[in-house]
Amino acid sequence: MSFHSIKKEKSTVNRSIKTVLDLNIGQSGNIVEIKGGRGVNQRLSDLGLTIGTEITILNKSPFTGPVILRVRGSSLVLGRGIAGKIYIRY
Amino acid sequence: MKTNYKKIRVALAGNANVGKSIIFNYLTGLHQHIGNWPGKTVEKAVGSVYFKGFEIEIIDLPGIYSLSTYSIEEIISREFLLTEEPDIIINVVDGSILERNLLFTLQLMELELPMIMLINQIDIANEKGIRINFTKLESKLEIPVIPTIATRGIGFTKLLEKIVEIALKKDGVVHKKISYGQELEFQLERLQDAIKNSRILSSYPKRWVAFKILEEDELVLDLIQREKEKPSRKFNKDKENLNKETEIIPLSKSIIETLEEFHGHSCGELITSEKFGKINQICRDVQQIEAIQKISLRDLLDKVFLHPVLGYLLLIGIVLCLLYGVFFFGDLTSNYLLNCCENLRPDFNQIFGKGKLSEILWSSFEGFMGGITIALPYILPFYFILGVLEDSGYITRVAYLMDRFMHIIGLHGKAFIPCMLGIGCNVPGCLGCRIMERQRDRTLAIFVITLIPCTAQSIIIFALIGNYLGFHWVIILFVFILFLIMILGNLTSKILPGEPMGLIMEMVTLRKPNLKVVLLQTWFRLKEFLVIALPLIIVGSILLKILELTELLGILNKLLLPVTVGLLNLPEEIGTALIVGITRKELAVVLLGSLFGTSDLATVLNPIQMIVFALVTTFYFPCLATIAALKRELKWRKTLLILASELSLALVLGAIVSRILFVIW
Repeated sequence: MSFHSIKKEKSTVNRSIKTVLDLNIGQSGNIVEIKGGRGVNQRLSDLGLTIGTEITILNKSPFTGPVILRVRGSSLVLGRGIAGKIYIRY
Repeated sequence: MKTNYKKIRVALAGNANVGKSIIFNYLTGLHQHIGNWPGKTVEKAVGSVYFKGFEIEIIDLPGIYSLSTYSIEEIISREFLLTEEPDIIINVVDGSILERNLLFTLQLMELELPMIMLINQIDIANEKGIRINFTKLESKLEIPVIPTIATRGIGFTKLLEKIVEIALKKDGVVHKKISYGQELEFQLERLQDAIKNSRILSSYPKRWVAFKILEEDELVLDLIQREKEKPSRKFNKDKENLNKETEIIPLSKSIIETLEEFHGHSCGELITSEKFGKINQICRDVQQIEAIQKISLRDLLDKVFLHPVLGYLLLIGIVLCLLYGVFFFGDLTSNYLLNCCENLRPDFNQIFGKGKLSEILWSSFEGFMGGITIALPYILPFYFILGVLEDSGYITRVAYLMDRFMHIIGLHGKAFIPCMLGIGCNVPGCLGCRIMERQRDRTLAIFVITLIPCTAQSIIIFALIGNYLGFHWVIILFVFILFLIMILGNLTSKILPGEPMGLIMEMVTLRKPNLKVVLLQTWFRLKEFLVIALPLIIVGSILLKILELTELLGILNKLLLPVTVGLLNLPEEIGTALIVGITRKELAVVLLGSLFGTSDLATVLNPIQMIVFALVTTFYFPCLATIAALKRELKWRKTLLILASELSLALVLGAIVSRILFVIW
C-alpha cells in the first residue's frame, strides 16, 4: 500500500488517533487498532504489539524507510507499510 | 560403544537471537549433525552430550516467536513437539527481554510436556538494570528456572543435572495451568468439555486444541475436518460420537462470535492480549528495572550505526573494505596456491605417465584445486568477516538501513543478508534465502542472487577489464550490473503473484561477537560450498577433459559460432571458454590465454569484445554448483525458468551492448 492511501484511510478514522508513522522519535503512545490483516496482526501480537500496549519510537530511517520502536522491552523494526497500519492514541 | 547409555530426548526451543545456538554448540560440541527437516528447506540440528550415564540428545528447534502458523519454522517446531513428544523442552529465554519472551513460554506450557526454563544473557540484562527473581518466577510458573550466561558457559552443569533429575522422576510432572480472564476461561472450559466428549484429536492436550480452535488455526481445523470424515465411513454404529464431533465446529463458531463481539477484536489477538496481560502481572512480581542514567557504549554505537548519514557512510565503507580486502588478499594467496599446484605437475607426470587417463586424473585434481583456490583465499575470509558482522548484531542494522532500497526489487531489508552472502559464492547465498518468510520472497531473492557476480565472476571482471581497460571500467561495469539487477528484480517482483511483504524484524542487542559461534557459522557455510559445489566442479572438470580429448569441444564450439561470432561479435575461440565457464566461471578467463596462444589478450580481443565477454559470462548461466543449489531450493520447474531467462538475457544484452559500443567507441 502506498503512503498516500494510508493517509487517506487515516483521515476517515478519529482525528485524535494517528498511526505509528505520525509519531516523532522519542514519542510514545498506546495502540488502539492494527489493520494489518489476519496474518500480519497475529505476527505483530506474537511480538508483543497488542491493543493497549505502549510503544516508543526509537528511530525512523530517512527515505521513507522502516521505523524502530520499543515494545515490552524489545526493539522491533517495522517497514513503513506495516507501521502505517498501527493506530496509536497519545 | 555407548549403547548402554540411557537416552533422553531434549528439544531446545526459544525466540530467535536468545543465544540458543551458542547453548547448542556449547553442549554438543562436535557431536552434532546438521540436516534438513524431512521435506522442508529448514535446517535441523541434532547433537548429543553424555552426562552421568545418560545420552542426552538435543534437537535445536528453529528460533521462533510463537507456535502459530505464520512461518514454516513455526509449523515444523510445533509438529515436532506435538507428535514426537520429546522428554523435556528446554525453553531458552532472553533475560533482557523477559516480558516478550514469556509469551512463547506460556504457549509451550500448553503442550503439557516437562519443561526447563533457561534465562540467558543475564549479564546483558544486568547491564540494562534488570534484576530477575528466579525463585519467584520458578514458583509462579512451576517450572525449574536456571540462569545462564551462554557466552561464558555459565549454568550448563546445572542444566544437565536438572535434565537427568527430571528424567529420573518416575511420577509425571504436574502441569501448571495459567488461567486468564473469566469470560475466556468460561468459554475455553466449554470447548474443552466438547473436545473431551467427542474424543477428537485425542492425542493432543485438550486445552491447547481449544486455544487453537478459538484462534481459528488453519492446521488444527484441517485436522479436525479430516478426523471427522474418517469415522463416518468406517464406524457407522458410533453415530452418537459422530454427532458430538460435528458439534464442535458450530459450538466454536458461536463462542468466537460472542468473544469477538464482546471485545471487538479477533479471537487470536484477544488470546494473545490476555496472555500478555498475565505476563505483565508476572513480570511486575519477579522483575525489577532500574533506569540506567549513563549512556552505554552500546547506545553510542547504535547512534552511529543507525544514523541517517553516518550509518550509510559506515555501511558503504565496511562493504568496500570487505570486498577490497577479500580480493586483495585472495589474489595473493590464490596465486600462491595455483603455483604450488602447477609445481606438482612434473611429479604427477612422473608417477602416472602421459596418457589420456592420466590427463583425466590430472584434470580432476585441477578441478579440486580450482575449487580450493576459490574457497580458501576468497570465500573463507569473506564469510568469517560476515559472521562477525552477523554475530555482533550489526547485520540487522544493515537490514534496517537497506530496507528502503530492497523494496525497489520487491523485497524487504532482510533479503540484503543473503545478497551479501551471494557476493562470496552464490551457493550459500541461495541457501541463505531461507530467512525470508514466504516462498514468493525466497524465489525472488534467489533469482536476484544468481544475477549477483560472485567471487569467481568478479575475478573475470578484475582480470580482464581491470588489467586491460583500467579500474574505472571495472567500476562502470559493476554499477551497470547493479542497475540491471535492480531493473530485473523490480520487473520480476511485478510478475510474481502475491503482494510484497513488509519488514517485521527484531533489532537484536549489539554484543561482542563470540569467536566459537563465528567459526562454526563460517565452517557450516564453507561446508555448503565444499559439499555442493566442489564435487560438481570436479565432475565438471573431468567431463570437460573428456570433451576436449574426444574433440567434441571443438564441434560444440563450431555449433555455437552463429551465437558467439554472429550475435555477439566475439572471436570464434570464445565458444569453448563459455562452455568451460559453466563448470567454473573463472576458468573461462584463465583458459583464454591458452585458447588464443598468447598471454597478452589485448592482441586478440578489442575492448568492446572484452566488455561483452565479461557481461555475458556474468549472466549467461549460473555455474553448475549454483544450478544444483537452485534445484535444491526451488525444484526443477523454477530452476529451468531461471536458467532460460538468464541465458536469453545474456545473449540479448551482449548483442545490444556490442552494437551500441561499436557505434560510440
